[in-house]
Formats: sequence, structure tokens, C-alpha cells
Amino acid sequence: MKYANLVKNINWQLLLAVPVAAGILHICATLAAPHLTAASAYSRLAPALPTNRMQVLNVTSPGAEPLPFLSPDARYAMCLFDTSAGPVSVASTLPPDIGWTLTVMTPQGDNIYGAASVAARPTPISLVLVPSEEAFLGVTPEARGIARDAQQPTILAATKGIIVVRGPDKGFSYQRHVEAVLKDAHCTARSF
Amino acid sequence: MEHLHVLSHSALTPIYVGFHRMQKRLSILIGIMGDWAAFIGAVLILGLASSWYMIDVGTRLTTEQHGPWVGWSSAGRIDADPYTRAHFARLGTLQLTSEIALSFLAFKDSEGNRLHSSCDYAVEGRDTSNTWWSLTVFNDRGDLIANAAQRYTYTSQSVALRPDGTFAVTLAREANPGNWLPTGGAGRLALMYTTFDVRGSLLNEGTPEPRELPVIRRVQCR
Repeated sequence: MKYANLVKNINWQLLLAVPVAAGILHICATLAAPHLTAASAYSRLAPALPTNRMQVLNVTSPGAEPLPFLSPDARYAMCLFDTSAGPVSVASTLPPDIGWTLTVMTPQGDNIYGAASVAARPTPISLVLVPSEEAFLGVTPEARGIARDAQQPTILAATKGIIVVRGPDKGFSYQRHVEAVLKDAHCTARSF
Repeated sequence: MEHLHVLSHSALTPIYVGFHRMQKRLSILIGIMGDWAAFIGAVLILGLASSWYMIDVGTRLTTEQHGPWVGWSSAGRIDADPYTRAHFARLGTLQLTSEIALSFLAFKDSEGNRLHSSCDYAVEGRDTSNTWWSLTVFNDRGDLIANAAQRYTYTSQSVALRPDGTFAVTLAREANPGNWLPTGGAGRLALMYTTFDVRGSLLNEGTPEPRELPVIRRVQCR
């Protein structure tokens, strides 16, 4: 009798609306979560990096970690890029050794470009980052009578983000070599 | 006593009446709002808790779990699902795309016990040729653990291997022979295993033999 009364008194419309409303809240909370965090990797790194210039980071050590879970298994060179004023060119040659990478990351952490080294040969990388939105970027080098580089750069559309060159830390003996490769990486604003 | 009781009762009557009225109104209000309160409560609990679980813990839809190791299948990828994006945004890490490198985090040993600096652990695995990997110990907030030896990580290039190609890294407070990662008094620990395995990637679809990740064995606790 009690059970029958309980069933009779249930607001079935509200009960059926619970999973629907919970689902909507679940989707909203999940989509909003990346925007509600104040400590994303980009927001932590951006204030410490110069714009459109590659900077070799110090060896990760306790108390001086730029990011959580950033292992000292590698050395890093990073460039905070902004293409709102014009394209940015990126160049680096990854040595013939495993563990080297060059990645272009958006402020949301997406790798819009990623290249890894191979043991057999050096991996030259040449990129040109252009603004995402359509904009007049000037005439091409050919139109201005300037010969193009021999290697055609890869064109990527991105407004802001971080370029990360990562070299595996193989110990003290290799420290200078790793640093030299990282310092050799370029990230500069350019014009067409 | 009787006299006092009568006096007391008559003096408190307006309060009792007021209290009774308030109780009555409250019960009416609860009657009206009860369904809605339960509805809002259920929606908040279900919606937020499920979102938290999917972002923080993950499921088989978004993660690869190998014993205590958890790796997010589409980390750093441009086509990453919203849970993976939210997970790494909250974690505050810069993830290499899972097409290049795979990072796994473990907060427990292979028997399911929380990793803690009061215990010693042996992390045992096999070194695979042509694959770069690293094993790093952090506290559970992702900070490196300060130690006089300045040892925080071992890589495939720095670890001492056994003749059969296997390795064992000891996590302990006190110095240990061989591959030793000091844990100090960090409290809860986290282990990160990163591998650049483009050939036989764990997360690549259609991989015939998934590679085994190191086993985390508790040796002793103090």
C-alpha cells in the first residue's frame, strides 16, 4: 500500500527530466572546464616567454618547474608566437637521434604540427605560421623578384600558441650538444 | 511547581503558536519545493559528478589502462575528445601528441596500493631497442622531489640494464645500489613513463602485440 502510494506520488515528468538535465549539465561542465581553469600550460608559460623568439629553458629542477609533470628527461626551447602582426617562420634541424621533437601547440594544448627525429638522418624542419583568419599578407617573393628558398616551408594557420623543441637529456657529456641544437632553432616574425 | 508550570505555559504560548505556524508553512513549502529540490539535487550530482569522473579519472573510451598506468589515448591531438582536452587543461601540462609520444601516469603500485614515499618500490621492465623512454618520479602534484643526488628520472639512455635487457629502478628514501630514484619525504608519489614508440605504439590501432609497461612492485614500507 505504501509502495503504491509512493509510486502514485512520484512526479514522473520531473523524474524523466533528471537524466536529460543532468546530460545537458554534464556536457556544459565538460566543455567549460578548459576555459574555467586559470592554470593551463599556455597561461603559465606565456608571461615568461618572449614573443616570436626562441628561448632555451633552464634544466628543470625542484622548485623551478615551469609546468607540473614536466620531466627533466629533456631540455626545451620554446617560442611564444603571435601571427596577428604577420607570419612567423620557424626553423630547426633535429639531430639524427631518437627523442627529439618539434611541435606547434595552440593555447588549448592541441598539437597542430608535430615532427619527431629519426636515428638514420637529420630532420630539417621549416615552417611558416600564418594568421588563421583571412588577411592580406603582401605579395609573394616571386612577385617581388626574390627567389624562394630551396626548401618550401610548410604553411600552418595559427594565430597564437607555443612552439616547443624538445631534446632528450642524455647526461652531462651531451649537454653542450643538446643546448647548441636548441639554440640553433629559430622562431622569427617575417614578411612575405 | 504547578503554579509555575501554568505561568510558564501561558507565557510561552505566543512562541508556540508562532513556531507551529512557521512549521506548518515550512511543511507546505517543502511539499511544493520538495520535488524541485530533489530534481535540482539529482541533476547537480549526476551531471557534475559524471563530468568530473570522465575528466579526472577517464574511462576506456578515453584512456589506455595497463595495470596502474593510465595514458590518455588522444592526448595533444587536434581531434582530441572534450574529456581529454579538459583533463590536460586542468592538469596544466603541455602534452606531446599521442602520435609521437605516449605518457602514462601511475599513482598506485601494481597491487593497487597508493604510491607513498614511506614505502620502497621496484619498477621493473624491459628495454626495447630503438625506443626512447623515460621514467620520472614526482609528488602527486607533479613537482619534482628535491634530493642531494639530483636524480629525478631515468631514460633508456641512462638506465643500467641487466644482461637480459631488463631493468629495475628502485624508488626509496635511502640510497640504493643500481638505478635509484630518491623519494625523500614527498608523501604521495606519481610515476610518469613516457615512450617514443612510433613503431609498435600502444595506442596505435591494429597493434598486434601491446607492449608491456613496467611493473611497480612494493618492496617494503616503514
